Amino acid sequence: MDFKKQLKEGLLTKNPVLAQLLGMCSTLAITTSLFNGLGMGAAVTIILICSNVLISALRKVIPSQIRIAAYIVIIAGFVTMVDLLLQAFLPDLAESLGVFIPLIVVNCVILGRAEAFASKNGVLASAVDGLCQGIGYTVALVVMCVIRELLGSGTFGGGLLGENGAGIQIFPADFAALQMIMPVGGFLTMGFVVAGFQWLLRKVENKKKEGSK
Amino acid sequence: MKKESTLMYILRLTVTLLAICAVVALALAGVNTITKDQIAANKAAKTTAALQQVLPGVTDVTEVSFTDATGTVRKVYKGESGYAVEVAPNGFGGAITMMVGVSAEGQVLGISVISHAETPGLGAVAAANTDKGVSFRDQFAGLVSGITIGDGENQISAISGATISSQAIVDGVNAALECVKKLG
Repeated sequence: MDFKKQLKEGLLTKNPVLAQLLGMCSTLAITTSLFNGLGMGAAVTIILICSNVLISALRKVIPSQIRIAAYIVIIAGFVTMVDLLLQAFLPDLAESLGVFIPLIVVNCVILGRAEAFASKNGVLASAVDGLCQGIGYTVALVVMCVIRELLGSGTFGGGLLGENGAGIQIFPADFAALQMIMPVGGFLTMGFVVAGFQWLLRKVENKKKEGSK
Repeated sequence: MKKESTLMYILRLTVTLLAICAVVALALAGVNTITKDQIAANKAAKTTAALQQVLPGVTDVTEVSFTDATGTVRKVYKGESGYAVEVAPNGFGGAITMMVGVSAEGQVLGISVISHAETPGLGAVAAANTDKGVSFRDQFAGLVSGITIGDGENQISAISGATISSQAIVDGVNAALECVKKLG
């Protein structure tokens, strides 16, 4: 097990959102304020760790023919638990994320990691994988949130900082492009962030190749 | 190793999945028991807070039974200064549950959104505790039945980018006003 390598994969080379392009639906929908991004990222990370651990522990018991059904039941169980706990103890966040919490069930990041990693690796490695992928997911969400919130409503830290959680106003809301917090802004931001990210990755890779020559 | 018979094979798959489902169901029942009361308490607190907001200074309310044809009106409470009507018009992301305070003369006293699933940053502004949200909701004060979107008499201006959510709230307020008209 190599924590450093797994963290690098989760954050960079195999970032669930920016490199594997998984879990797009919630990524496009909820990245409108910093609070949403952090909350969603935390929820997904917790569920990812739990489901990875359990699926990894049961990987020899679950027959491969019914593995997808078994994974979905396990994931749905954890998602519902997180949903209920959020509603009970963090009602503000539950309200803000709304339907996207129950929709984590069909978030490909989680099923993808169950299939690609947890079903083939040990419990500890799977837990670390869940954590690293979760961090990668959260970072990607936060980057998109910051860009969209700044351009779309002219604020930073919406839902967390400022008066009544309205965020810190960087420039007047009248100059903000509302489109950026609408779905079209989600797609635009996604495209540019992924392109920029891939360009950076490529650049670093090329430099490494040249260095080894 | 002996080859597994078809029956055993089917049984093995079924029993494994059944066992997983049973364990997950048990765990969920456990979490539900822990959170049930807290969730109910959160909802009750929200309703009380909403009542306080739409009927200022209310101390005692009684529930009035009311059935309307449209199904928008959920509950009607009668307080000292008027009625508080819980309505659930259809917004962009499902029903918007909100409380509308109506004076005995049929004027809006105030509105408060209890729960909704509108788009964050757009329709959700209508329910948010920000300047924008508060000024949107304050527009309704003093209006009478038949509110529309616009900038004239008895009209409110919609939240930009959230026409459907704004219209839903207008529908809800109108339904509440109609309801009080029928009761009064």
